Amino acid sequence: MNKLLCILTFFFVVAGFAQNTKDFAKGNALYNEGKFQEAITVYESILDNKVHSPELYYNLANSYYKLNRVAPSIYYYEKALLLAPNDADITNNLAFAQNMTIDAIDKIPEVGFSKFVKSITNTFPFDTWAMISISCVVLFVILFLAYYFAYSTTKKRLAFIGSFVILFIAFISLFFAFHKQTLDKKDNPAIVFSQESEVKTEPNLRSESAFQIHEGTKVQVLEKYNDDWSKIQIANGKTGWIASENIKLLKDF
Amino acid sequence: MKFQKHILIVVFALTTAFGFTQNETSNEVKFETKVSKKKLGVNERLRVDFEMNKDGDNFNPPSFENFMVVGGPSQSISNQWINGVRSFSKTYSYFLAPKERGNFKIGQATIEIDGETYKTLPVDITVTAAVEIPKDPNDPDYIVQQNIHLVAEVSKTNPYLNEAITVVYKLYVSPNTGVSNWRELDVPGFNDFWSQNIEMKGVKIENGTYNGEDYRFVVLRKTVLYPQKTGKLEIEPYTLDVTVDVPTNRRDIFGGRLMQSVHRTVAAGSRTINVKPLPEVGRPIDFTGAVGNFDFKVTTSKQTLKATEALEANVEVSGNGNLKLFKLPKLSLPSALEVYEPEHKENISVNLNGMSGKSSDSYTIVPSYQGKYPIPSVSFSYFDLKTERYKTITSNEIVINVDEGPINTANTVVNSNTPKQQIITSGDQFASFKTKTNFVSISQPTFFKTKLFWTLLLAPFLAIPIAIFVRHKQEARQGDIEGNRIRKGNILARKYLKEAKNTLGNKDQFYNALERALHNYLKAKLNIETSEFSKEKIQELLQNKSAEQNTVSQFLELLKNCEMARYSPFSNVEMKQDYDKAANVISLIDRQLK
Repeated sequence: MNKLLCILTFFFVVAGFAQNTKDFAKGNALYNEGKFQEAITVYESILDNKVHSPELYYNLANSYYKLNRVAPSIYYYEKALLLAPNDADITNNLAFAQNMTIDAIDKIPEVGFSKFVKSITNTFPFDTWAMISISCVVLFVILFLAYYFAYSTTKKRLAFIGSFVILFIAFISLFFAFHKQTLDKKDNPAIVFSQESEVKTEPNLRSESAFQIHEGTKVQVLEKYNDDWSKIQIANGKTGWIASENIKLLKDF
Repeated sequence: MKFQKHILIVVFALTTAFGFTQNETSNEVKFETKVSKKKLGVNERLRVDFEMNKDGDNFNPPSFENFMVVGGPSQSISNQWINGVRSFSKTYSYFLAPKERGNFKIGQATIEIDGETYKTLPVDITVTAAVEIPKDPNDPDYIVQQNIHLVAEVSKTNPYLNEAITVVYKLYVSPNTGVSNWRELDVPGFNDFWSQNIEMKGVKIENGTYNGEDYRFVVLRKTVLYPQKTGKLEIEPYTLDVTVDVPTNRRDIFGGRLMQSVHRTVAAGSRTINVKPLPEVGRPIDFTGAVGNFDFKVTTSKQTLKATEALEANVEVSGNGNLKLFKLPKLSLPSALEVYEPEHKENISVNLNGMSGKSSDSYTIVPSYQGKYPIPSVSFSYFDLKTERYKTITSNEIVINVDEGPINTANTVVNSNTPKQQIITSGDQFASFKTKTNFVSISQPTFFKTKLFWTLLLAPFLAIPIAIFVRHKQEARQGDIEGNRIRKGNILARKYLKEAKNTLGNKDQFYNALERALHNYLKAKLNIETSEFSKEKIQELLQNKSAEQNTVSQFLELLKNCEMARYSPFSNVEMKQDYDKAANVISLIDRQLK
């Protein structure tokens, strides 16, 4: 019975994927004809099936860009980048979409050692780091046993040194896996959707407004209050409170 | 007549002489200024008396600056005897008309009495705005008043805030009088109004009626007003000094009436305007106070251009209303565009209907990079006086296409996870859609920190002690050769006796199996056929292979037992003994065979 259910689910999933691929092709056809709004509807129906891919987000973002809708366009480009961080097309088109935004915010450059560590940490997702550390541990064990069982001195020496180098790499990559996970938890970007919104100094409407931000700006959500208000930080380091309805979280898959 | 005058002088001289003799020692000299009122309207008159109680010479009046001397000076002298006491007074009188509003001083007058100079004290006079003079039919001014009227015509006394109203001042003159000249005494101030005077070119005399009578009139002043405050606002009176020719009763030699010039101050009464506030209901957020009837548009000089070319965006409001009194909505442009301060242009004419024309801001925009830049829609709200409703006009969104030029690299924020990354400039164009994809489920399970992860991470370490332990065991075994042979034989016996062991307890089957096992063993070891199985043969063969005699006989005994068991009973204990024996024998033979 259980097996049967498993098989049925499998077939269902496969059939579902096939349907999604068909829809994707249909959306592309509509896009190519210039019917961007219809294409968006089709693409978004694929998202409703709980599947995604960087290409889907990218095409969706392109459609919104063609309709001159800044915020959703940037939102989906950023989502595509989350899944495929090194895709040239996505970064290229995102630059086009960002030309449409109104806010110009200077980024605070990161310097020194923390930048170096961060850049290495960000080369892989934490699952990959975990895999690397596991394979290193396995390799270490093999080399260590080779050292233990080897007869010639040169072989023993090589195996010993190799095994400890590999063990060191294993620990480093484990550290990166942890570091990457904490970074991912801290990194909670969102895109501003309302055309113009006030950022307040406190999470209520009475308080003074700290600054204004416009559609399409990327912000970091630091914390939430009552779900209605989100504390955000913009690229130049300024923080403030904004009504949660004005922004959309990027990692909200 | 001359005689009478002489008598008067004589009497005067007498009385003077008498007075001197009477009161010479007791009388103190008094010389003072008396005014009929200290506060008066600009259209009223004032009488100033300089009074002294002793006759003097060289009377010197003050200069009546700010006043116009309408009458005087006139002298009067009075002498009185009351109960033998003489009182004398001499008065110089002036009639003054103020020239303008304000606080003025009537300065000191001097006179010489008995060789000494006396001065009066200065008097303060306050001149206020024109007041209504009570009508007195006997007043000669009244007659003039009936014939000349200065009227302020207000187009609307109950306007909205910022709604244009006009005030027209007209001077009505009846046909039987003439006005030869006029001078503005008091220009009305329009506090709380934005006002603009409409220049009058020349004076045009028109015919009209006033209170049902025929009059000629002159429009003196036209002003457009925009109230800037709600509530009751006052328009101050307008005062003119008019030189009027009034007919007299005298006639010239041809019988025509002689006219007499009279200065008259006429004032248009103050008017109160009740300004209504604009309704709160339905007031748009972006309302900045525009009232009237407007058209609003945002235009750009071009929509497709190359980078670094300039483009002009124009925000223009045209129509009727308070065009100068509100700010134009601002364009909010994408930050990637270089935008200069807008240039404000106005082309507004003011006439009696208010301001009309257009007011515009033109922005110069220079795009530095290629791409699409939307100029977001801008809305402009105004209050429409005809429908008394707010109206909002929203401009269309304009998209500027910059099709040639460098791509924007400076401002690009790539995924914040990866620190600033150079944009790959190979794609100078907006990349098109992607055709192929692989979908993955949105909720991907993570591997890191799962139980499986920890197991896989730590399990390999366990392999080290296990491997070392196994290695040690192996080495120990390899060292023990005799034990190895025993173990080998045991394994072999166990292999052949497996079936027999399973049937342990069942006599017939057990011995069958045991016999078969022994035969099989021999077959494998000695390479003989089942047909050759005779005890002698077996013994011979085994001994040839250098098995010990004792062992061989044990083997043969077992075979015998197997045969015997078919016909005689065997207990379980004996079966077990036979099994162990068989195992032992097989392992022994195996060791002894060469």
